[in-house]
Order: sequence, then C-alpha cells, then structure tokens
Amino acid sequence: MKLRLKIWRQDSATAQGMFKTYTLDNLEKGMSFLEMLDVLNQQLVTKGERPVVFDHDCREGICGTCGMMINGRAHGPIGGITTCQLHLRSFNDGDELTIEPFRAKAFPVIKDLKIDRSAFDRIIASGGYISASTGSAPEANSILIPHDVAESAFDSAACIGCGACVATCKNGSAALFTSAKISHLAKLPQGRAEARARVVKMVEQMDKEGFGHCTNTEACEAECPMGVSVLNIAQMNWEYNKALLLGA
Amino acid sequence: MSVINHDVIIVGAGLAGLRAAVEAAEYCDVAVISKLHPLRSHSGAAQGGICAALGNEEEDYPLWHAFDTVKGADYLGDQDAIEVMCNDAPRAIIEMEHFGVPFSRTKEGKIAQRPFGGHTRNFGEAPVRRACYAADRTGHVCLHTLYEQCIKRKVRFYSEYQVLDICETEGVVCGVVTYNIRTGEIDVFNSKAVMFATGGFGRAYKTTSNAHANTGDGLGIVMRHGIPLEDMEFVQFHPTGLYRLGILVTEGARGEGGVLRNASGERFMERYAPTVKDLAPRDMISRCMYQEVREGRGVGTAKDYISLDLTHLSLKQIETKLPEISTFAKIYLGVDPSKNPIPVQPTCHYAMGGIPTNVDGRVVTDEKNTVKIGFWAAGECACVSVHGANRLGTNSLLDLIVFGRRAGKDIVQFVRETKGKMPVQKDADKKVREKINNILSRTKGESVGKIRADLQQMMMDKVSVFRTEELLASACRDIKSLRERAKNAVVQDKGKEFNTDLLDAIELEFMIDYSQTIIEGAYHRKESRGAHAHEDYPKRDDANFMKHTLCLVDEGGHSEIKYKPVNMALAERNWEYREKFVAKERKY
Repeated sequence: MKLRLKIWRQDSATAQGMFKTYTLDNLEKGMSFLEMLDVLNQQLVTKGERPVVFDHDCREGICGTCGMMINGRAHGPIGGITTCQLHLRSFNDGDELTIEPFRAKAFPVIKDLKIDRSAFDRIIASGGYISASTGSAPEANSILIPHDVAESAFDSAACIGCGACVATCKNGSAALFTSAKISHLAKLPQGRAEARARVVKMVEQMDKEGFGHCTNTEACEAECPMGVSVLNIAQMNWEYNKALLLGA
Repeated sequence: MSVINHDVIIVGAGLAGLRAAVEAAEYCDVAVISKLHPLRSHSGAAQGGICAALGNEEEDYPLWHAFDTVKGADYLGDQDAIEVMCNDAPRAIIEMEHFGVPFSRTKEGKIAQRPFGGHTRNFGEAPVRRACYAADRTGHVCLHTLYEQCIKRKVRFYSEYQVLDICETEGVVCGVVTYNIRTGEIDVFNSKAVMFATGGFGRAYKTTSNAHANTGDGLGIVMRHGIPLEDMEFVQFHPTGLYRLGILVTEGARGEGGVLRNASGERFMERYAPTVKDLAPRDMISRCMYQEVREGRGVGTAKDYISLDLTHLSLKQIETKLPEISTFAKIYLGVDPSKNPIPVQPTCHYAMGGIPTNVDGRVVTDEKNTVKIGFWAAGECACVSVHGANRLGTNSLLDLIVFGRRAGKDIVQFVRETKGKMPVQKDADKKVREKINNILSRTKGESVGKIRADLQQMMMDKVSVFRTEELLASACRDIKSLRERAKNAVVQDKGKEFNTDLLDAIELEFMIDYSQTIIEGAYHRKESRGAHAHEDYPKRDDANFMKHTLCLVDEGGHSEIKYKPVNMALAERNWEYREKFVAKERKY
C-alpha cells in the first residue's frame, strides 16, 4: 500500500517546527505503524537526510515510551492501544496521515516527535510514593487487603505514564495521570496514612508544571490505552477537598 | 575531560538496578544511569508473577521452592545461591507489598498465589500455588513502585545515557564512560562502586520477546576488561511467540486445547510426542517446530512459521478463558483466532548466563571466584547462578529483587569501609572517543542494519533451539566473517543528537562479542542440559559437564574457555534432605 505522511519536523526545543510530507510505497498492511517509521528513517538516512526522532522501546504496549498524535488522535484512530500497537491495516491505501508530537504546555518538544515528559517525574517526586518504613522482618500478610480493594488499586496502578491523557485534553490537564497514582496509593492501607499530605503536594506540583485544569470532558479516559477510569479523578478531588477541610 | 562524581553508579534501571539503588541510597549518594527512562525498562513487561513460599493458599516451604529451582535448572544452578534466594523470597514479597505493590488478593485479603510451571509441593509431588501476582502486570507495578521508592530516597537518574565502557585504575573498577544520547557528548563518571544491571540480550536473535533496548551491551563491555561470561550457551526459548514479533502467546492456549499444525495441517506433535503431544515441555516443542520449518513444512509464503490452531474451540471458550490472546492476535496480526489459526514461531525469551557473580552480587573473574574490586552485577545480565541451565517461570523477578538488594547492601558496606575513591585515569574516555571517531569516519561498507539482521538470522538458525555439531561449527565460522564485516560497517547519520545509527553500530560490536561466547559455549558443551539441547549428544553428561562454562572473547575474536565447578551446598550438606538435591534425571 501507499501512504502520504505529513510529519512534524523540529530540529531542537527552540527551533521553529514545520510539517514535511513524505510518500511511502510498497508498504504491507501487516506492518506496524512504528515499523513504517523505521522504513521511512532507513530511506532518509540512505539519502543523507536526518531521520525522524521518535520514542519507542518494548513495542508491545507496556513500557509507555511511544506516543504521538496521528490524524489528531493520541495513539491514532483505534481506541485502547498504544502507538506501537497500531498497524497499517487500520488505514486505507492512499491515505494521508498527519503525525505530530503530543502537544501540551507542560510537554515541550525536544526534537521532531519526541517530547519531554519529565513533568510527570516531578509530580511523582512531590509525593507519589509510600514513605512509611517497612520495618524489620515483617511477618507474612501483615496487611490484609480485601480482594475488591486490591483489584481497584491495581486498576489505578495500570497507568503506563505515556501522556496520551494530557495530549488529548483540551486543557492539557494531567488529572488522569496524577489521580491514578494518588488513588492507587490512597486505596491501599499502607499508603493511607499519608494520603492527605500526598494529594495536596501532588496537585500543587501538577499545577506548578503548567498542566491545565480538569473540566470533566472525559476525553482522557476515552484515549487512555490502559483504560484508566475518570473515577480516579473523582477520588483525587474527594481526597483533596478532604485534606483542605481537615488539614493535611 | 569533565568528571561527574557519585559514591555509587548503577547502570540499568530495571528491577535489579532500582532495588539496589533503594538499598544503597539509604546511606550513600547513588546515581542510576540508563539508556531509557527508568519506567520504560523491560522488567515492566513481566506478566506472570513472582514466586515465594508464603503458603497463603496451601502448605509451602522455601525448601520445596529450592528443590524445584535446582531441578528446573537441570542441576547446573549454584545451590548456595538458590538457598539464599528461596529463603529470602517471602521477606522480599512482603517488602514489595509495603512499598505499595497492589498484589492480587485472596478472599481473606492475603496475597493471592497461583500455580506455575515447574513449581511443586513436597519435592515434585504435585503443582503448588506459589506465584504472587498483580493480575498480568506484575513487572509493571513492581517497576513503578521501586521507581517511586528511588525518587523518595533522592536517587539521581541519568536517563538516555548509554554506558560504553567501565573505568579501571590499578585493577579497581571506579567509574564509567557514557554517551549522552540527547547531545552526543561523552561523559566520565567516577565512583567508589559500579554495578551493572544492564539486562538481557534477546536482540541477538531474530525473533525475541525482548524490547529493542535489550542488546546486552554490558556483557560486551566487561569482556573488554578481561572478565569472562558464564554459561552463555543457555538461552531460553518460548515456543509460541507471535510470528515476526516474538510477543508471547501463553502456554494456556495449548492448555485449553489449542494445537500446533504445519503447512499441510498436520498436528505434528503427535508424531514427536505421542502421549503429551502439544503439552510437551517448552524446549521440546520449540525444537519440533523448528524441525518442521527446516524440513520445508513451515506455513506461509516464506514457509517460516507454524500455526497455532484454536478454531475448533468455541467462541465462548476463547473469549472467557483466553481473552488476552484473542486481543493480542487481533491487535498485532489482525487475526481472529476463532476463525483463523495464529501464526507463531519460537521466540528468544531469557538468558540464563551472564556476568559471573557471587551471592553478594560481586563480579568474579575466574574459576577460583576471585572478586573484581569495585564491581557488582545483578539481574538478567548477571549469572549468580540460580537459573543454571533453565529458568523456572516467576523466578526471574525474584532473582532481581533478592540479588539487587543483596548487591545494594554489599555496596553500602564497601563504600563505608573504603576511605578514598580511586581516581579515573586521565585518558579514561580515550578509547571510546577513538571508537566513535573510527565508526563515523567510515565511508564505504555495508549498513549496520544489514549485518545485524544477518547475525540475528544466523543465531536463530544455528544457535537457538536446534543445535548440532555441524550447525555450531558453521556458526563459529560465520561469526568470524560477521566480525570482519562489522569492522567496515557504515553509519549514514553523522549527527550528534539522537544518533541511533551510531549507537546501533556500537551495539553491534558488543553483540558479536557475546554472541561468540554463546556459540563457543554451546560448541564445547557436548551434552544436552536444560535449554542447551544438542542433537548429537542428546543425554546429560554429569561426569564431564556438570560445570559452568567461562568464556572470554577478546577484540580480535580469540576465545578462551574455562570451566568452574557447580556449588552443590545442599547436596553435600549432612542433613536429611541431602538426597533430594543430588543430581538425577529431570522428569516431570
């Protein structure tokens, strides 16, 4: 099959970016989207041009490295998958694809399709961990956790930190990412102790990083490859209000 | 040459590296260097679980776990290390729970456990529920949790830095030389302790379940410093990887009634294993699949895969019992398994061998286990050796958090006891700079991609699940010519930022070096044991080969093979269980 690719090219964080169009022939339907970019890069390098920089690693949808806007949608037209799981059979021969980096104020472009997601790291660093000491030689099962609670905490912990939620949100909000971490830890007894202090610090850091506010459009849940639920945002807001009322 | 200083440098940010960092950061200034962002490490892809004899679901003891591990390793595992790991497992799991891992739970709220291949009760009596898990995302949640714990302890991360060499002064390892992937700059780090947790090397094979980053660079680096690699010939293959991609299709597919078919639709396993058929052990099925392909009965235009047929199962059975397979096949191959068979191939999964270490993670350099001062290793890149000739499922994550922590503890003690820091040599980065300049200056030759593809194909054809004297001898010749070709490999991209072309060229050199140790180790091991199945020597030979291979390959491709004895602590101890740990035929 043949595809026309309109790809965002930007030399550096400060340089002016622009779209460039490339045409690829003889593509196979069974090829993955990233393999198609590999083919393009091989051709560019052979011609002495600079290859397109993009993030990827595991190519099986778990590492969270890859991510780009394809025809205006985070991770492309198919819901519930990451960019590496997208295949050319989802497109038609002769289609034109517009490929851009995830765009948000808090995710500056480093080069081409590669963005800086370190704002996520700083949100975690502000308090997204359990700091209670594990003590010495705890006996087995010292913490009993009801089955449903554990399942729910696990669902929150499914986030792979790809940033699709931010990219797809019209406000560039990181509410889904931040709330997933907050809920995961707040639901578990071992994380409950510091829940109030944690939510205040993490929400403050999120705001400081320049992410927008959540206005409940739920676009994030719709585009999240791991299906993380917006109920996490409700829990975050509830924890946050509680902390403000009762003190961190 | 600017030098960056830290007490401890850990290379690799998977579970082993992060667990060591958590331990060491309580007392010292720790930096973790990774070619990726830490959360993108391949430990995150582990699904099945992490085993420990907690006894939550039924009676279980670390001793039973140790027995299974020794037997699973086909008696090549070091028994002192296996005992340490199995005894420490319950503590390690509870600690992960306290750090915040959301393990799946039983009805009473305890950590849930499920059965896994090779794990049994009462010395092989029946399967036991020993694997703790967080649904099918065990590695992912463990990785994120340990990263959070590192952040909490203010570990310094250097992401997207590729380590290209270790610094050695007067025989002491005291730092690393890195290539900054973002800027193309070369930096030198100076530290009291260096730890390698650089992961596996599945990318040496054409079909693998490993990520793109798993190129095994650490293994190539240590050999340049005269440290041999241990038991490299033992590479685990999983029979059912998705065609071309290598992504795993769980054994459950065959457990539920799926069958393997060749091009003519024949259920060929009936011919090789008339009683167990499609439920034969992993290594055996992989070999039979390869045999079918070699004899021209592979499926597809290139006749290079096998069909995993689930079409005779009911749609309900597929959707309720095997939902993830159904999704995977649809996502990656566009195949609906209820209507069409799934194309599969054996896929390279896990490396049992690696950098030799003792139970404290200290790198050892010879058959007398002489310690290399200042240098530790843990995880898949290391060989303790708890997995011996064959790893049991769920023992890998355990290996990471147990020996990662032990290395961290040992490093803390070393840093505290060592007053000064050995300085790096003035021209520590010279070799790396010369190498990069040399690669960039080449103008005529083949592309790196072509040579790498040929290497991967050769390793798959001659040194994977089907090994013969003839194939291995021809692999020995092939690796020589690949080495020559790589000397002239041309890098098209001459830029500094994100020059993956250049990194591929450097990785290729390391890949050729350690691939040769796999080939030579396999060639000289004239027996079949665990993952090393040799058609010309189908029996295990304890009299001659109950020993670890140590193989060293230098820059010119000259190799040296030595052997060291297996630790048989449990079989030599004067106790009532002695007999259980003495080598015997591995039957299930």
